[in-house]
Amino acid sequence: MALRRLDLGHGIGLRTRHFARFEAEPSPVDWVEAVSENFMAAGGRPIAVLEKVRRDSPVALHGVSLSIGSTDPLSAAYLADLARLVERIEPALVTDHLCWGSHRGRYVHDLLPLPYTEEALAHVAARVAAVQELLGRQILLENPSTYVGYRDSTLTEWEFLAELCRRADCGILLDVNNVYVSARNLGFDPLDYLDGIPPERVGQFHLAGHSDRGRYLFDSHHAPVPLPVWQLYREALRRFGRVPTLVEWDDCIPPLEDVVAQSRQAAAIEAEELAAASRRAS
Amino acid sequence: MTLAETQALFHHLVTGDADGDAASIDAVFRGSDELPAADRLAIYRDMYTARLLAALRETFPHLARLLGERFGALGEEYLARHPSEHHDVGQVGRRLAAFLHEHPDPERPDLRDLAELEWARNEAFFAPGSEAVGAEALAALPPELAGGARLRLSPSLRVLFLAHDAAGLWRRLQRGEDAAPPSATPTALAVWRRGLEVFHCALALREAMALETALDGGTLEEICEHFAGCPRPAEEAHAALSGWFSEQWVAGVVAGP
Repeated sequence: MALRRLDLGHGIGLRTRHFARFEAEPSPVDWVEAVSENFMAAGGRPIAVLEKVRRDSPVALHGVSLSIGSTDPLSAAYLADLARLVERIEPALVTDHLCWGSHRGRYVHDLLPLPYTEEALAHVAARVAAVQELLGRQILLENPSTYVGYRDSTLTEWEFLAELCRRADCGILLDVNNVYVSARNLGFDPLDYLDGIPPERVGQFHLAGHSDRGRYLFDSHHAPVPLPVWQLYREALRRFGRVPTLVEWDDCIPPLEDVVAQSRQAAAIEAEELAAASRRAS
Repeated sequence: MTLAETQALFHHLVTGDADGDAASIDAVFRGSDELPAADRLAIYRDMYTARLLAALRETFPHLARLLGERFGALGEEYLARHPSEHHDVGQVGRRLAAFLHEHPDPERPDLRDLAELEWARNEAFFAPGSEAVGAEALAALPPELAGGARLRLSPSLRVLFLAHDAAGLWRRLQRGEDAAPPSATPTALAVWRRGLEVFHCALALREAMALETALDGGTLEEICEHFAGCPRPAEEAHAALSGWFSEQWVAGVVAGP
């Protein structure tokens, strides 16, 4: 089965700071992404806001605790909470990360990298298939920002993702900022990464800001999308075409207008690149 | 090294106290001259602590404000004993009040009560909603069934029995005032959510015990027994129950048995 790419347009992440605006006004963007775990509680303001937003526009549920690569058993409690939320929100997309974040039942609440080995590939592919069967739908996995590699890795991250999609029939949430951050931190060419990703498996883009901490780049989501990430986004558009694109902003969150402006900038860049591709084709 | 062994090592290096020796880290992880593997792992370790402390600060804002810089040390000590075991990082503080009970601060024994109040408010905020019914739901019962009836209460409602005046402390911190010295005053509080807003209020001990019985599924007769020692038990019980209905704590009245 192939991945059916949706035509969602351009969105932003739903954050607490902007709840009042989303409660009071129509959504200012084409679609919205919600961090799944922040909306799993049965009541309270977060789920009330998300349900209101969902009435206005498509929603993607983006998880951070699936821990798909962990050698712990898949958490039945987590999957039950996720399945309930999926049923309640009817999201356009369900996504999480290619990572692990729990060990012996203890969560680090971080996106820890996997060694890219045949053992890890078989392990993750089986678990993705199990999750998709339980949810009755495909999921997309996002490439994480990475600060350390493993000596045991025999595959690159893009080779791992491509083969994972083939085996598990899942999709890719390609975080352009994460590609850039990991490339700088681990010393690979980000264009090699993009060239190695199967275009038909890309179901969503993420864009975000990072910070330069001297010896490494940190995936901080605290600032506007920087120029090198915009440039890499153009390269991604040339390879993958029009893909639902979302701007993330999680720290030092500015007024809603500033985040929406980043999303509009992404839409403008997409329009430029698609027009250029159209001219080249004719 | 298997995947499970690799993750066990990584987890230990991120959450443990020890840095690990550079040679064994280099045998597994890939670094560079500019940024050795041990320094790369330290990025994850710093993020781990920062993220969980931020979650505790969000759940216990008044406790964090009261303790100031000491909150970080308390949080790290707590996390060493009670690491997160839930996929929702917001749940990481669920044992903090019990931890403070086991390890009381000699200068502020009321910290555990403040933590218990803030945790109850957090739980109430995320509890499922419910529609309230009025006192007429009780009045509509045939008299012979009233004694065995049970109240279905708002899922957000909690009763706390505390050793100190945590509500007074919470109020001062909420107003941005300095905390008064601990006041060893046994206190009972109700915590609940109406709409999207969380409230708490003090209850007389007798009423709090009656409400706890109601939350435990006790019958109206068992609820009213808590008022038996009052000078006018029927009036007192009626006043308490009327208050529960007017506060919109009652979501239904279920006839016996």
